[in-house]
Amino acid sequence: MRVFLSILLLIFSVNLNAQDDLLDMLEEESDADNNEEVFATWKTMKLVNIHSTEMVKKNALDFRVAHRFGNMGVESGGGPHSFYGLDNSADIRISFDYGITERWQIGIGRSKYNELIDFSTKYKILAQKEKKVPVTIVAYGAAGITPEKDPDTRYDDWQNRMSYFLQVLIARKFGQRFSMELAPSMLHRNMVTKVVDPDGNTLTDENTNYSLGVGARFMITKRVGIIADYVYTFSEFRENYSPRNFYDPFGVGVEIETGGHVFHLTLTNASGLVENNYIPETNDSWAKGGIKLGFNISRVFQLAKH
Amino acid sequence: MNSKNLVLVLILLAPFISFSQLYKSESSYIKFFSEAPLENIEAENKKATGVLKLDNNQMAIVIPIKAFEFEKALMQEHFNETYMESDVYKNATFKGFIDQKINWKKDGEYDASATGTMHIHGVDQKVTIKGKLTIKDGKIKLESKFNISIADYKIKIPSAVVTNIAEVVEVTMNMMLGPKQ
Repeated sequence: MRVFLSILLLIFSVNLNAQDDLLDMLEEESDADNNEEVFATWKTMKLVNIHSTEMVKKNALDFRVAHRFGNMGVESGGGPHSFYGLDNSADIRISFDYGITERWQIGIGRSKYNELIDFSTKYKILAQKEKKVPVTIVAYGAAGITPEKDPDTRYDDWQNRMSYFLQVLIARKFGQRFSMELAPSMLHRNMVTKVVDPDGNTLTDENTNYSLGVGARFMITKRVGIIADYVYTFSEFRENYSPRNFYDPFGVGVEIETGGHVFHLTLTNASGLVENNYIPETNDSWAKGGIKLGFNISRVFQLAKH
Repeated sequence: MNSKNLVLVLILLAPFISFSQLYKSESSYIKFFSEAPLENIEAENKKATGVLKLDNNQMAIVIPIKAFEFEKALMQEHFNETYMESDVYKNATFKGFIDQKINWKKDGEYDASATGTMHIHGVDQKVTIKGKLTIKDGKIKLESKFNISIADYKIKIPSAVVTNIAEVVEVTMNMMLGPKQ
């Protein structure tokens, strides 16, 4: 009889459990086969200066206007008589980027700096997932050409005015608020200058230049965050050139998302808006007031169903 | 255990075996729609699952939030990231009971309702949802259309986009259930 009672008890308890956990059973099933891609690692495809791993969505067009005012500090040509740089524009860029698939985008842009026209493409190789895949990896490539004529005719040949940029972006979203990325990069310029520095050394800039970018974002609210990025340049020429007036671009900004738009309000010493320009040619320093106020505006248009 | 006891156990077990029959979703379709001055917002989801227990009318439904598909990709991202926070609140759920006594063995159409707890965005609300229940050829079809006030579930809309988004969202739900093997 004791055995019988215990069996009875067991049956009842099992049955009660089954009733309570109808929902749990469903949820477990639903979660078990879900290993979703982590989304919204960044709000938009660029941070202050460097690219993020965010892509333009399929069939969407990202129209961007970016602006960098002049240097703020007196020592770097700013000060009250240029309204701390606001009277000048270091660079202005208008660009269009289009998502061909969820993982592949192409773009075109035009900068004031060097009158550079750039064609770019971005491909998502790997997407971070909730389980097993810890990072997102994106490849970015750009080709730039400047129509600017050089007075000493060296650049008459169009090939000499071309530059190529290649970058691998590795990013991880740590929870809802914080994302970080590393960006090993390579820049090749078809023609570089030979200079004699004040110490009398003849130096030639490198055709191929390697650099490492790092970027991060911290969200304060769901729509407002702080962004920052830095690019370290590996260059013997820049170390040996005695005026030592090459600096690593560093930028910090506030990011505001309003639904269809993303706004960046930024401070940076970078000379231009495109890697082909600012990696080799940043001659302003934060310490000397070579800081530029700037903004990036991104507006996304969905042209067809994604 | 002697044979008399064994028979007793079997008799006692019988009701559980015969009536605790589970029906599980074979297909589902959920749509939500909101009309607002600037743009209508619409999304579809085909990944919801549900179970129905015939002996006591108990039911449960799970809707994975990330499976809602929008026309605009950016809208879908914002829906997940800033409104529903689907990284944290992965599913919307309903658990409750069908209010009417229904003869599950007979084909027919019923105006039915279900009362229970709706769980969206981490918030529980007691609700009664009206709908239609059709039994045909051993399958059960649930159809329902109801409104959800997003404020009830603490989904916040920033003042800058308030005119873009309606306060009340109309949800359409269809689900086909069949006996669970």
